[in-house]
Amino acid sequence: MKPQKTWLAILLLLFASFALMACAGGADNAGETPAEEIEEEPATAPTVEEEPVEEMTEEPVEEPTEEMTEEATEEEEATEEADDGAVVRDPEADLVIWADETRAPVLQGVADMFEEEFGVVVAVQQVDFGEIRNQVGIAGPAGEGPDIFVGAHDWLGELVANGTVAEMDLTGIEDQFEPSALEAFTYNGILYGMPYATENIAFFCNPDIVETMPATWDDVLALSEELAPQGITGWTIETNDPYHWFPQITAFGGYVFGVTEEGYDATDVGLDSEGAIAAAEWLGQMVEAGFVQPGMDRNTRLALYNNGDLACFNGGPWDLPDLRDAGTPYMVGPFPAGTAGPGEPFLGVQGFMISPFSEDPLLAQAFLTDFVATEDVMFQLYEAGGRPPAFLPALERVEDEDLQAFAEVGANARPMPAIPEMSAVWSAWGNAQELIIGGELEPAEAMMEAAQQIRDAISAANE
Amino acid sequence: MMNDIKARGSSEPLAPPSRNVLGYLLRLGGLAIVDAFAVWFLYVLLRDGVWPIAIPVALIVILVNIVNLNERLAAMRWQIPAVSIILLIVVFPIAFTIYSSFTNYRSGHILSKQQVINQLEGRLYLPEGGPTFAWAAYRNPDGEFGLWLVDEAGNKFWALPDAPIEEAGAVSEDIGPVDDDGYPTRVGEYRRLTGGDLFRSLEALNGVRFGEGDEAVQIRNTRQAATLQPRYQYDPERDAIIDQLEGTVYFGNEERGYFISEEGQNLLPGYQVMIGTRNYERLFTSPAFRGPFIRIFLWTIAFALLSVVTTFALGLLLAMAFNDPLLPGRKLIRSLLIIPYTLPGIIGVLIWRGMLNPFVGVLATTSQSIFGWFPPFLTDPFWVKVGILLVNLWLGYPYMMLISSGALQSIPEDIYDAAAVDGANAWQRFWNITLPLLLVSVGPLLIASFVFNFNNFTVIFGYNEGRPPIAGSPTPAGHSDILISYTYRIAFEGGRGSDYAYAAAVTVVIFAIVAILTLIQFRFTRQWEEVSESV
Repeated sequence: MKPQKTWLAILLLLFASFALMACAGGADNAGETPAEEIEEEPATAPTVEEEPVEEMTEEPVEEPTEEMTEEATEEEEATEEADDGAVVRDPEADLVIWADETRAPVLQGVADMFEEEFGVVVAVQQVDFGEIRNQVGIAGPAGEGPDIFVGAHDWLGELVANGTVAEMDLTGIEDQFEPSALEAFTYNGILYGMPYATENIAFFCNPDIVETMPATWDDVLALSEELAPQGITGWTIETNDPYHWFPQITAFGGYVFGVTEEGYDATDVGLDSEGAIAAAEWLGQMVEAGFVQPGMDRNTRLALYNNGDLACFNGGPWDLPDLRDAGTPYMVGPFPAGTAGPGEPFLGVQGFMISPFSEDPLLAQAFLTDFVATEDVMFQLYEAGGRPPAFLPALERVEDEDLQAFAEVGANARPMPAIPEMSAVWSAWGNAQELIIGGELEPAEAMMEAAQQIRDAISAANE
Repeated sequence: MMNDIKARGSSEPLAPPSRNVLGYLLRLGGLAIVDAFAVWFLYVLLRDGVWPIAIPVALIVILVNIVNLNERLAAMRWQIPAVSIILLIVVFPIAFTIYSSFTNYRSGHILSKQQVINQLEGRLYLPEGGPTFAWAAYRNPDGEFGLWLVDEAGNKFWALPDAPIEEAGAVSEDIGPVDDDGYPTRVGEYRRLTGGDLFRSLEALNGVRFGEGDEAVQIRNTRQAATLQPRYQYDPERDAIIDQLEGTVYFGNEERGYFISEEGQNLLPGYQVMIGTRNYERLFTSPAFRGPFIRIFLWTIAFALLSVVTTFALGLLLAMAFNDPLLPGRKLIRSLLIIPYTLPGIIGVLIWRGMLNPFVGVLATTSQSIFGWFPPFLTDPFWVKVGILLVNLWLGYPYMMLISSGALQSIPEDIYDAAAVDGANAWQRFWNITLPLLLVSVGPLLIASFVFNFNNFTVIFGYNEGRPPIAGSPTPAGHSDILISYTYRIAFEGGRGSDYAYAAAVTVVIFAIVAILTLIQFRFTRQWEEVSESV
């Protein structure tokens, strides 16, 4: 009797399973025949998380803003459910946006307006800026990703290679954007993002200590010698931070990757070029004289400056709030010149990108081009982020003199290479900087070693 | 139950447990629910092509069913939940890591081949000279869409899916009055979509081809529609992607995970493929392995070993000091000493890093002003290692103090009395009685601590990110890097973004190293056990 009973039981189980599948199937099939289901309620997505996103520690859901509290929208109810720490796509939302803590509140305002006016539910999820880059590669293919995400142009090489960014179509409104910002978001001839801000570093000096900004790097060295007896450091730099070091390298003619007509050339590494080595040797002089010392990081540099112990440094717009809070006087200007002219920093561009896994890319485009690309919203984004807008009508409204100074320096800036090979550059280059500042290697030797490490890493990865 | 089965022998079939039909039905019902969810879960997994998860889940479900339905295996029924959990939580991640190490899962190879094909086939292009239009969308009561098009010359057209595009003048249906935008409010039964209606319809309008053949118009954005054509087509027979614009043919290459043209041009994005042992070959032949690997390996062992020895020594010392019941205020002091244990490790590390900062750190500036010197704890290759060991000592001794206090209590007093009678001094009593007996009980914990520190990424990266750099290394590496932080470097700061598969391969190798070291250490603990037996 026993075997029959077992078989009967298994049959029963199978039957129950198929019955359940049939129930769930209705929702699952929604994607296959979209045209027929427009008028229906949004199908409830399965609650099973196929690929839990574990690394996400940031609370994804933006707190409802005060303006929102009057009407309890569907969206609020939906967001309250997802408080388990993982970024899970809000199934009620027509559009999901991932933005960092600075941009999210502004976008939330636009989203509320959009919903009120058109009944389209836009969920803004707050994700740490650096995390967005990794998570679009993990959550996107699993169907849990955003439709729109905020990012930087130098991610493009990786995102395009991964297939986690879709083409952007700004036909008709291109002329309202800073051309260099659009160019930065163009990769292999295709536009992938709608820029909203540009950023670059500039040269800071304390006017209480120096009357005029040093015009050349030799002046910086002379200034350091002059100030040393008073216990003041003339100029210093983070020990392992090539991003901040770059303008000094370009001033002597150094570069990271050579440029061809098609863009950056990963086979031409310029960190051991004559100019880069000359720049490193200048830094070596500063180290030898004891003006630049190891163990420096951004917080230490700001603390020294605010104490009046540091005259000049290379800094970004993100340093402005700290200096203003501390009340330390400062002036912002172009970088000193070297043998090859004034130092040129990296240009970084931030923008919105659309995921290729978006179910509704036209709506995502429409939201960006018709509602975010407006003078008001772009100006709000500027006020929240403190970077010069890449949207020209908003840029014209900016009255902050410091930011205008940054924008002037940025006019000569070089777009940070967006090719994926850039990931091999940072650590090798930073180590070279640290070895020079730590006095462990001769400057020329350190730069040649870094360039070789980069070439090896690139050729190993291309095998 | 087990004895029962054994007594009956295996050849004799078991009678169904008729005494408990209700229980049997309940069990069957429970199993049915579990199975139903499992099958549904599997369905979802297979639909998304997640084979590596689907297979173990299927195996577990089959196992659960066999055990629950086969009376012979009744004794295993209570084990099966635990076994399932072990399989899912322990065995599966290990298996998945090993599996990943044989793939090319890294930046540029994130998607599956099917996802890449779908994405490429969705890409559109506007043929040269192809017309573009301003557009307005319309919908009839059946939910079908129509498009009113105005070309650059101002000519108006009416387009429906899979029907020839008509000039507006030739449309037979009656056309409603023109609205403010210059578009008719309706065309026959089709009404113009505006505002929210339009935005909510965009998802359905996406990809709809209005018109026939090459003339078909698609919506490009809210301002423009155009005769867009699919850029890429997949030919399953040749396993190739054909670029309709350039005419190039890209053939799928299962070795490299790209569609590659005959000229050797890769079509982005790439996809995931199995690449056999290439990650391991790369590890063992790369300069990263030949170069600083041995040095980093030795420091890793030294770091783990010294961390265990120093924390245990300090913890034991404090435990013995506060084991004396006559000491006043020992409870309070003991509580205060445990504080480092209650802090999250990374916070402790960052606080120390701040205090040791040569420019503004409290300890550094104080020492500078008193002695005129402070060890370069964050910048010098040697002192960085000392600093890391000190910080780890601070973080780790409370744990050792706790476990030693407990273990000390369990050593019988009479052994000490006997030793005292034999004339043993304090050192002899400690060395010959306390330590061996203590190691019997805390030995496994010391091994656990060693293994933990072997992979203590938090302390190394939080303290100084493995820096300062090693001069003359063929790949970026730091003096204080341990294997796991070095793995992080080569996997995520390598040539082209993140290399998860390579990281998995290195992890498997580290796993093997740790397993071997642990086995050796267990040999030693067995010796201690022999000591305890002979006491």
